Amino acid sequence: MSLVTRRLERTLVRRASRRMVTTATVRRRQLVLIEMLLAVLGCVGGYLLLIDWARRFEVSLTATILDGLGVDRISAVLGDSFIVFGPGYEPVVAEMTASCSILTSVLALAALALVALRERPQVLVGLVAASLFVLAANQVRLILSLLAGRYLAIDALIFFHDWVGAAINFAYTLIGLLIMIGLTMYDAQRAEQDHTGRHTADRPEAWARPGLGHRVPVETSAETERTNVAAILHRRILPKSVSSRLARRREQRRVDYRVGHESAGRRAVIVRELAAKGLGVHTATLLAVATHETDPLVLDSLATAVAARQWEPVAGQDVISLRLWARAWLMRAPQQDAGVAPTGRLIAVTGAGGPAGVAVIKALQAAGDHVLALDANPDAVGLRLAGRAAVLPRADQPGYAEALLTTLDEHRPAALICTVAEEYAALTPLTGTLARLGVRTWLPDLNAAETCLDKVAFAAALYQAGVPHPTTAWNAATAGMIPGPWVVKPARGRGSRDVVMVSDPSDLAHAFATVPGAIAQTRLTGREFTADALVDRDGTLVACVPRWRDETRGGISVRGTTFENPRVTEVAAATLRAVGHTGPANVQGFVAEDGSVTVVEVNPRFSGGLPLTLAAGADVVTAYLEGILNPGARLPGLTYRPGVRMARHFAEVYYDADGAPVTDPLALGVAR
Amino acid sequence: MTGRGRHRRTASPAHFRKGLLGHALLFAAALALFGADATLGWCATVLNVVFLLFFFRHLAFAVSAARWAEKDLDAPLVGVEGFTPSVAVLVACKDEELVVDGMVSALLSLDYPAGKLTVVVVDDASTDGTGAILDGWAAANPRLRVLHREPGAGGGKSGALNDALALVDAEIAVIFDADHQPEASVLRRLVRHFREPKVGAVMGRCVVRNGVESSLASTIFIDYLSGYLVNEYGRQALFELPAYGGANCAVRTDLIRALGGWNPDTVTEDTDLTLRLLLSGRRVRYDPSAVDFEEAVLSSSRFWRQRYRWARGHQKCLRDYWRPILRTRHLSLMEKLETMLFLWVYHVPVLCGLGLLLIVLRAFGFGDSSAIEMLALSALLFAGPFTELAVGLVLGRVERRAVWMLVGFIPAFGMSILTATKAYFDGMWGTTYSWSKTARSGATSTVAREPVAVP
Repeated sequence: MSLVTRRLERTLVRRASRRMVTTATVRRRQLVLIEMLLAVLGCVGGYLLLIDWARRFEVSLTATILDGLGVDRISAVLGDSFIVFGPGYEPVVAEMTASCSILTSVLALAALALVALRERPQVLVGLVAASLFVLAANQVRLILSLLAGRYLAIDALIFFHDWVGAAINFAYTLIGLLIMIGLTMYDAQRAEQDHTGRHTADRPEAWARPGLGHRVPVETSAETERTNVAAILHRRILPKSVSSRLARRREQRRVDYRVGHESAGRRAVIVRELAAKGLGVHTATLLAVATHETDPLVLDSLATAVAARQWEPVAGQDVISLRLWARAWLMRAPQQDAGVAPTGRLIAVTGAGGPAGVAVIKALQAAGDHVLALDANPDAVGLRLAGRAAVLPRADQPGYAEALLTTLDEHRPAALICTVAEEYAALTPLTGTLARLGVRTWLPDLNAAETCLDKVAFAAALYQAGVPHPTTAWNAATAGMIPGPWVVKPARGRGSRDVVMVSDPSDLAHAFATVPGAIAQTRLTGREFTADALVDRDGTLVACVPRWRDETRGGISVRGTTFENPRVTEVAAATLRAVGHTGPANVQGFVAEDGSVTVVEVNPRFSGGLPLTLAAGADVVTAYLEGILNPGARLPGLTYRPGVRMARHFAEVYYDADGAPVTDPLALGVAR
Repeated sequence: MTGRGRHRRTASPAHFRKGLLGHALLFAAALALFGADATLGWCATVLNVVFLLFFFRHLAFAVSAARWAEKDLDAPLVGVEGFTPSVAVLVACKDEELVVDGMVSALLSLDYPAGKLTVVVVDDASTDGTGAILDGWAAANPRLRVLHREPGAGGGKSGALNDALALVDAEIAVIFDADHQPEASVLRRLVRHFREPKVGAVMGRCVVRNGVESSLASTIFIDYLSGYLVNEYGRQALFELPAYGGANCAVRTDLIRALGGWNPDTVTEDTDLTLRLLLSGRRVRYDPSAVDFEEAVLSSSRFWRQRYRWARGHQKCLRDYWRPILRTRHLSLMEKLETMLFLWVYHVPVLCGLGLLLIVLRAFGFGDSSAIEMLALSALLFAGPFTELAVGLVLGRVERRAVWMLVGFIPAFGMSILTATKAYFDGMWGTTYSWSKTARSGATSTVAREPVAVP
């Protein structure tokens, strides 16, 4: 062990054994005590050093002013006194004592400024203004005292100086203090509350410093119109260029709380832009975002922006704080950084409760997008899976459009994906408004969607195009004319709801009576398939992934296998051409034992079995999103692997009555 | 911790006439021994030393607040979602129909897990519509429990709170007054400090919300800014000894039960509880970011009554607790000094009055000039509070023109000299005094009013 190590060891042991350890509170106390002591010493020292100079300076200033005013019989003598000849020409020497000088007041103000307010640079202006005021006021006091002696009586000088003067002295010191404080305080632009405690800064509530001004509820804040001097100045008097330059400067100072007013998507963009200028430039704003922001999307963009700028020389302690925050934020969910980088986009998905909606939400999240899940059912599972969620009325109920627009206005997603075909009719008239909100959509032609949803129209369209389709009857009278056995189902329906299998012709009439708006079709034999398809805006079939429906439950494929069959692809393409659909769709049909392909129906939306298509390598969700965001771009054709099998199982999400998540006891990493 | 019901409160004598007589005799003896001039001169010197001590105390608080408080207001919260002990919000109200709606709707919108929060409002034998309004709210909101006390149940606010405490089994009790409207985040902000076992109570910050209603209310608004953002903050930063303030504060229920509940024999149960907490080895913490809005009194007669009550109760606490404070082993020497100065606070205006009297006497030629110049030091005494007020305004980011409101504090100081002096002599003489309820205005609210069905 070297000598240095031994000595170091000894010192450390000695230090550790010391009983009294100074706590932070004691340190703070010592610091403040030392500062106050220094201030007192400064005052005393300054007084001793400067008092003679100050007295002489004030005497000469008073004499100069009196000379200027043309007052006779008063003159400065010996540098620090006046000789005054009273009304009866009796001479008196008035000495300018130390307590008459402003030096004590100025030193006290300076000490206060230095000790208590030095971190606010504007105090310097305040101190200078207050000192000048105190000097002027003391000159008035001196001159009035001397004039009282000159014109009234020598006793008047003494009385005026001692008693009236003392009161004036107290008053001007106090006013000087108020001037200094006032100039240290904030102007109306930067203040947060007025003298009665009302909030004036117009910060969003989440960003406001707690307790700085209360907000008067909106209905009572109807203020009477007041003349606003600043507004008149800017509108009428100042040249436009000057006015707008001043406005820009003002806005720059307020940027930290301007961010908070924006929608989350916009905030994320602003944060990225601010960070791109360098972390040292808008550090305060970025730190405010890290402090107050609760939206994971915005926090993600801040953290990634900070992470991307680690080359930048650290400009200050706040940049370190930002990096520490970003470090903790990115470490909080280790599974995230193993996956994909966040895109920073927010995508809205309707029908979040259905299997198609859930599959789309998961696909988007896997690609790094943030999701706003929408559904009419407050218990829809997709609402729990997405980062953000909102419950809307059903599309066929009043208030749907208003609720949807309000929600989208609040969140401003980049795109809206609709997984419920029945919503197209309500959404199509809104596309213009959505585009103005910055929400892009790609909805199929309404006629095409309607053709798909109405099985009678669908049968007619396919018949005209010559696509194989089971013979269809839409009333009980004609139903007997088509060959059996039959399947009777509603002309407009989803999944397998109200589907009745009929083998005996005598049951047909009963089935027609029970199923609402029924149609009858010849029941097909063979193997049932679904082909997930994506059609570009120009009608090109971008993807067509057929899969066997090996087992279904409630109309949803729970076991399936992708396969390749040129005839199926051909028929699916012909079907989609026949109805004129673009966007995602799934074509359902049968492959008979002889290899002939018949199409039963088309759902103009993503399918419930979508995960298998994605697993087979055809990322129709990403391609569709690309098509929404870049309407002009041509989508590349997607390929897939045949023979990929899917076996589905249940998964659970738990939450309490308030909607707060409840821990999954079976999840990995949860301590038993 | 002792079991329930054991009262540790000090039984205080009804009057201190002997003490008052003792002071008078001492003064008379000094006059006889040293002569009037010398005695008055020495009195002035002693006063100067006391004033100097208080000036530096105020200045130290102002310096610490100016240095650190602004960042504290804006500091990020850590782990408030994960730490949620059960909380019971307790409010005592008596004849509060003007403000009770705003209070209840603010309490019901508090952000805290529903399963962990109970709200109990005590209608303390109100003679106006308070009880009916509360029942209306309770019918619509199962989270709210209303306790009606019979007339003559006694104990004032403390009695009502003790009754409410008996109803709940939460870990933390949070107290508000009827005119208070807390910000939604207040519970999480207050409760976070209870992670430390040593903490017995946490005080939040009260802000005046009706400053717009009168210039007195606006003055009180500024007074609260400096009281909470500077004085209370400084006491925590420099001594870790903030005071529990009676409203917008949280306290451990096991602790308050062990201490025998709130003290019904005092008119300032808050200061009383602060001292009992300190003597039991616990600490009070202060959170300047846990904000609630309250009403200031609107007329000077109400102001007088309120400040008289504060002065009377606070002065009584000094008389009740100065011995135990000096003896306790839970406080260090500096902490004892600060606690004594804190207890002395409402005696200082009495001394100011005395100082003014000495100045007047001196002007007429009575008394030696003191060792330290009297006038200069009285000015210093002004400078201390003004510095606190100034820092309060700057920290509160109040707009610039509010600075002229500070002039209004000069008559307020004068009034506090009178109230404190009257309270001092009444307290020493033992004049009977019971809780005086502060009248409300109810005109300014920070929460939107919801109509309530009265059954």
